[in-house]
Amino acid sequence: MARVLLADDSETILLLVRTRLEMEGHEVQTAADGQEVVDAVRGGAPPDILLLDAMMPRKSGIEALRELRAEGIECPVLIVSAHTGAGDANGEHAGLGIDGYVDKPIDFDALFAKITELTA
Amino acid sequence: VPVASSPIAEQAYSRPRFRLSPSLANRLTIGFAIAFAVLTGLAVIGVARFLDQRQEFEDATARSYQLEIEARNRLARGADPATTRPEILAEQRRRHALRDEITSETRDTALLVGAGLIAGLTGAALLFSGLISSMRRPLENLVEGSRRLAGGDLETRVEVGGLQETAALGAAFNEMAAELQRRAGERDQLDRMKDEFVLTASHELRSPLTSVQGYAELLMLDREKLSPKQAETVEVILDSSRHLVRLLNDLLDLARSDAGRLTIRPEPTDPAGLIEDAVRTMRAQFEARRQRLSLEIEPGLPAIEADRDRIRQVLVNLLTNANEYCQDGASVAVEARRGEADVQIDVIDDGPGIPAEQLEHIFERFSRGDAGETQRVGGTGLGLAISKSLVELHGGAIKASSTLGRGSSFRVHLPAAPQRVEVA
Repeated sequence: MARVLLADDSETILLLVRTRLEMEGHEVQTAADGQEVVDAVRGGAPPDILLLDAMMPRKSGIEALRELRAEGIECPVLIVSAHTGAGDANGEHAGLGIDGYVDKPIDFDALFAKITELTA
Repeated sequence: VPVASSPIAEQAYSRPRFRLSPSLANRLTIGFAIAFAVLTGLAVIGVARFLDQRQEFEDATARSYQLEIEARNRLARGADPATTRPEILAEQRRRHALRDEITSETRDTALLVGAGLIAGLTGAALLFSGLISSMRRPLENLVEGSRRLAGGDLETRVEVGGLQETAALGAAFNEMAAELQRRAGERDQLDRMKDEFVLTASHELRSPLTSVQGYAELLMLDREKLSPKQAETVEVILDSSRHLVRLLNDLLDLARSDAGRLTIRPEPTDPAGLIEDAVRTMRAQFEARRQRLSLEIEPGLPAIEADRDRIRQVLVNLLTNANEYCQDGASVAVEARRGEADVQIDVIDDGPGIPAEQLEHIFERFSRGDAGETQRVGGTGLGLAISKSLVELHGGAIKASSTLGRGSSFRVHLPAAPQRVEVA
């Protein structure tokens, strides 16, 4: 099972996703914004996969990812977004190595399948 | 900005011709008016002189006849012919001289009057045409400006000039155009704010909805620990939250469509696979209402240029409508066949049908079946409007037909992908 670093600024959503992921047997570490993501990755062993909310206060998931990629962290990344179907509409995410987008509300079966595929 | 204009009117108003500038035309007009007045004055003086001379001539002639008659009378009464006859001859010569004089004076006066009249008439004609041309140019500009404005070019303005009246008209036109432009700008801004609002609202609503749906699903994972009543309650929460998500997605699509930001990523796609996929998605809902869902796809359909997700969305929308508006046990057929340069996909049901007055507006947003039905069905009233936008983005068309009591049929035309030419 995978070690997942999960970031979202909503506590209820963090708890929800964490619960579902742990029920699937994943090991979950959480972060409330982009800065916590960067700190968590720097502080310990890099996770198997990053699950980042695109819009967070202080530092967005995209900004955090940009910093991590600059430091040579290469783990797979899924971006969770409330902007359905937004994806990378403006091409701003080019070169960040994003492996997929997850719309809110989250389709957990599809999310689990993606995590399994990316961490296999 | 495209400007609408008919070719005939275009020809009539923009034929190249010599034109005076309005200010020059104005000055010429004043000049001609003065010349006209002076020459007309001359003609009047000439006529007066002529009448005066004529009177003098007639008086002198009359006096001469009187003298001649007196002389002849004296001759008849026995006066000396040697002195009287020369008197008579002298009077006759005097009248000759007077006639010659008046003839030449009449000719001079006639020339003067004639010249005056001709010059005056010419002046009048020039004055008139000067007036016309000083009005024509600004009026033509106004006609052209109006046409550009009607064609949607709100930045159009006309040159203000010519007579005071045409200048005022031009200024009023420009004021009107400026006002139209200002209002169009305000309307655009309001539209943008509305689109922005819908996008933001949809985004903000999505987060709590994620929690509602996610936690309800979490409860359902422990379904066996819930009482049947509780399980049913959670089902209602889940159904409602899914409905809300659908509503949000539809609103978002519509806002994007309005903002011109609804985009598709078409690629050559096998229509059969796409249709089967959509039908498979809907199979369970049809079974739940014991409705028959049949599928007939003509073999060897050409590839279509399609955004898979979006066309699946259209087909699922049509099937959802059939599923929800038809009675339990109804039959719905999906048929796909090759058209001339497209693929036609029909969704045909034997449901209650759609009244003609509703059918007319069926692709308009928030157009839905009658109130009783919509209470039961609970759609968003946006699905067909979005489907139409999506199909049209693909360069296709969507049509509906229906017979009350017999059923409804929706046909989607999607253009075939251009054939790849193999280069040897």
